[in-house]
Order: sequence, then structure tokens, then C-alpha cells
Amino acid sequence: MTEDETHESATARDSSAGARPDGGYLSVEDVPERAPTVNRSWRARIAENIPSKRRALKYAVAITVAVLWIVPFLGLFMASLRPLSEIIGGWWHLEGMTITFENYYRAWNYSTAPLGRALLNTFIVTIPAVLVVMLLGVMAAYPFARFEFPLKTALFFLILLIMAAPPELVAMGNYNALHEIGLFDTYMGLILIHIGWGLGWVVLFLRNYLLGIPEELEEAARIDGASRYQIFRTIILPLSTPALVSVAVIQFTWVWNAFFFPLVFMRSPELYLAPQVLPLMRGRVQVEWGVIAAGSIMTMAVPVILFVLLERYYKRGMVAAVAD
Amino acid sequence: MSLQDHIESLTVDRDEGVVSSVDRNKAIAIAVFLVPGLTLFGIFSVGPIVYSVIGSFFAWETFTMEEFVGLDNWIRSLTDPLIIHWSNMRELRYPMGALTHNLLWVVVHVPASTFLGLGLALLFADLRGRRILRSMVFAGFTVPPIVIGLVLLFVYDPQAGIFNELLRVLGQDQWVRNWTQSPQVAIYALIAGGIWVHTGFSMLLYSSALSAIDPSLIESAKVDGANAWQRFWDIIWPLVKPVTAVVVIMGIIWVMRMFDIVYAAGGAAGGPNHAYSVLGIEVYRAAFRPEIDYGMAMVVALIQLFIVAPLALYIARMN
Repeated sequence: MTEDETHESATARDSSAGARPDGGYLSVEDVPERAPTVNRSWRARIAENIPSKRRALKYAVAITVAVLWIVPFLGLFMASLRPLSEIIGGWWHLEGMTITFENYYRAWNYSTAPLGRALLNTFIVTIPAVLVVMLLGVMAAYPFARFEFPLKTALFFLILLIMAAPPELVAMGNYNALHEIGLFDTYMGLILIHIGWGLGWVVLFLRNYLLGIPEELEEAARIDGASRYQIFRTIILPLSTPALVSVAVIQFTWVWNAFFFPLVFMRSPELYLAPQVLPLMRGRVQVEWGVIAAGSIMTMAVPVILFVLLERYYKRGMVAAVAD
Repeated sequence: MSLQDHIESLTVDRDEGVVSSVDRNKAIAIAVFLVPGLTLFGIFSVGPIVYSVIGSFFAWETFTMEEFVGLDNWIRSLTDPLIIHWSNMRELRYPMGALTHNLLWVVVHVPASTFLGLGLALLFADLRGRRILRSMVFAGFTVPPIVIGLVLLFVYDPQAGIFNELLRVLGQDQWVRNWTQSPQVAIYALIAGGIWVHTGFSMLLYSSALSAIDPSLIESAKVDGANAWQRFWDIIWPLVKPVTAVVVIMGIIWVMRMFDIVYAAGGAAGGPNHAYSVLGIEVYRAAFRPEIDYGMAMVVALIQLFIVAPLALYIARMN
């Protein structure tokens, strides 16, 4: 747990340093060894310049690597905006480039399963799955962090084990169960499965976070006569907001991006989720790169925008969730 | 909390009525907090896993459990060439079976993404704008994996793909091919794609470990005349070593769950003639594509669990 806190505070410190505008202090490497003297020999000047050149090289390498890393996505974006003939000729040829939104239009109204509808379906499934997991997760995490109860350790290990399990393992049982209760091929069925699957890591993650909240606050409230439910609502919930935001971002990304569960549990084309529709767009003879690219951009835009907006919570949550 | 319990147990003798009502209130509160979440978790996660464990010992008529057959499903699945293909393995020819492919992912993907992640974390560690650089590398991890698979199809396409264009520019025309559909090399092409996506995650974990290192340690080593290699080996590595265990284990779990990328590239067959099928694909095909074989699907999914379960418990013990 102390390790966890170090990580979190370190990440926080780190990102605040990164966010600081240029007016900050020089970093240690940039501070010269001595005060500048007026009459330096050319030899000394060259010697002083060498480290900065090395540093410039390091910047060049770092920026090159980072740009190369996103080249495939750049290609995807370019392909989504160009007609098929230009994509086959190579999206990297920029001369005579035609920009068209035809691909987006066709993906949005794709004949087998329109992506517009699929994106709506994805929202319908993702939002309740995230909200319910947050609420039930923090409720279940509270006793795990604060109280002793029978089977606590066993439950704890069970949750850990299931966190490592592949989603394929629960597919067969859930398939039969959803058929049994008549929720197969419905929003509700898929939502319930995402909730059940997500609760494991959310409970563990929030438990670790709650362990870091000092108990004195709750004890003070109890002396004032607050019930356990009041303590939960007025102390625990507000204090765990940052962790809940992390949970929301990561769980949203996971449910939105999930492909296997919808593939198994959503069979009517009008209920297809967006990740399910994308591989259908490959076409028979000639792969329709433009349509696939446009559909992919629209589908990935939601989690990527969320990541950009709530980057700190996302990264902090990721690190804390696995390195706790 | 244990102290609290201790005090409560001490007061039992003195004032039994009050304490038992406190205890009952507490038990009710615990139940109110736990039951809704654990019920759903039990029904949709624990239950199906138990169901799979039991079902793996029974015969199945499509989706209905029939009679007990002992280890039949296990033996049938483990001798199925789709899972382990011994004769092709001897000739090092794909397909070698889903389990072998999964282990190949572990052996190639996990070390590569770990080293690259550490390398990038070190490279970006003290640069201005490192947050943006890191986000660029990490972004792929937030994209739906199915999109990653389609992007790989696109990158490796013989005409439209930039990878083959790169080969042409380098004058290696004999290597130009449709990488994701050539049975003998496709798995490596996909693993390269996996490394591309997953390195960002390893880098993130290493970055947060690196930023926890006190810069004055490194400064004093510099003053003492340690070169970059010594500084890494004597100061940085011992401090990031515990993170490496987490990075490697998360990598193995990620790879053992591999499904979307392979499905996007090769469909439910896992590539031409199952050339790069993985265990997840085999579960899906056994369970939900004709001929339906629920018993085998359950066994294969349990094999996936057995490989990662000790690792998860190892992480638990580390805490």
C-alpha cells in the first residue's frame, strides 16, 4: 500500500511538472557547472556545448520514435478521408490529394449494420455498465477496506483469480444463463455481463484506495452519531472521487472497446455494437479500406478523446490498478 | 480495525445487550454494502467459471449438459491438432496449434515489449514535453483492439500498406507480401503489432517507477564519476526491478487473452488454415460456431486460466 501511494504521488508530481509552462526552474542537467566567465577559450566553449548537443540528439530520437509510433494511426486517418483509388496507390503520396467525407457517410449508413446505430447501441450499453459498476464497486470495496467479515480473504483471492481469467471462460455459462432468463440478445443482458465482469477489478482497486484514507475522519463522525450509511455517503464517497473518476474512465474504455462479449451475446444486426460492425466492413472482393478507416476513426474517437481529457486519471488508475 | 474488534470483544462481558445490537447493525451494514455487488459478481463471473469447471467433465449435446465422461474432453482437447499440432511443430511449420502460438506470443512479445517499454521510459524520463511523447506511444493502448487488428491488416497490405512500401523503398522487393495472410510469417507480423500496442503500457508502468526515484541519487552518482551504464545498472535497475515483475505478468495476461487482434486479421478461423489461431479463438469457435463442442470450449478456456492463475497469485503475494 505504501508503494501504491508512492506511485500515485510520483505520477501526480510528474504530471504537474510536465504541465508547468516554460517559466519553471531549469532542470538539473541544464544548470551550468560554473558561473559564466567573460573570456572563455574556444576549447572551453566547445566542451560546454557537447552535452547540449547530446541532449538535442536525445530530443531528436525521442520525437522521431513518438512520431513513428503513431504513423499507422496517421495512415488510418488519411485513408478515412481519401477515395479508395488513392488509398491503394498509397496514402503517403500527398500530391493530388482529394479530401472526401464519402467514407464517413458510407460507414455511418453501412448496409449490414449502420455504424450510426451501432455507436448509439455502444453508448446505451456502456453508460449504465460504467455507472452501476462505480456505485456497486465502491459499496463493496468499503467493507473490504474497513471491516472484518467471514470469508474476506477467500473472497479477496477469488476476485484476484478472476481478474486474471480470460473473458472466454465466462462466455459459455453466461450464454446459457442469459437464454434461461430471456435476456440473450438484449441490451440488459450485455450490460449485466459487463457489470459482473468489471466488478472484480473495481472492488480491488477501490479497496486499495480506501485503505489510504485515514480512518480518524470516520471515527470522528461516528462519535458525532453518524450511521455507517451516513459515513459512507458523506465521507467515503466524496473522498474517493478521484479514484471513482479513474474507474469511470478505465471501465468506460474497457466496455466501449470490448469485442468478444458483444460478438457472443448480441446477434441481431440492429443491436450490434460498433466494434462488432468494423470487421464486417472488410467486403468480399476488394477490401474497402476507406470505409473501414472511417468506421475505425469514429469508433476509436470516443475512448481516445476521453483519454486525452482525463489522461491523468487514466494513467494513475492504470498504474495503481496493476502495481498496487 | 483489529484493535477496534479487540476492544469490542473485551466489552462483551460487561454490556452484552448493547454490543450485540452494535454487532448486528454492523453485520447488516456489511451485508447491505456487499450483497448487491457480490450477487452480480457471483452470477455473471464466479458462477460461469464454476459451470465451466464442472462442464469440462461432462458430455454436451450442443448447449445441454449430458452425462459425466471424466477426462474425455480434456484428453480430446489436448490431443486436438488445433490446440497442439505435434507433427507441424517438429517441422517448425505453421499452424502449430493455438496453445503453441499463445506460448510463442509470450516468448517473443513479452520480453520485447518489456525492454522497449523500459527503453522508452528511460528515453523520455527527463525530457521537456515527456507527457505528450508518452501519450503518443500510449495512445494505441486506449484504442479498441479490434481497430488495432484492422490497422495491422492495412499496414501489412501488399498495395496500400506502408510496411511493404518501406520494403520497396529499401529495395527488398522479394519480401513484399500480404503479411497477415502468409501462414509462415503472419504470426510474427501480428506479434510485432502486439508489441507496438503494448509497449505503451509497459512504458507507463516504468515511467511511474522512474519518476519515483530521487534525482539527487543519480546526481550524486554523476558527481562520483559513474557513467550512464553504471548509473542505470547500480541505481535505476534495482529500483525498477519490482515493476518489471508486474510488467512481465501483465504482459503474459494480456497475451494469453489475445482475441480481438487475431480475429480482425484472420477471422474466426484464426488465419488461413488456422495459421495463427490462439486459445481464445479456439474457445469461440468450439462454443459458438458449428460444430458446437461446449466441452472442448470449456477445457481450452480453463487452460488459459491455468497458465495465468499462478501469476495473478504471485502478484497478490507481492503485496
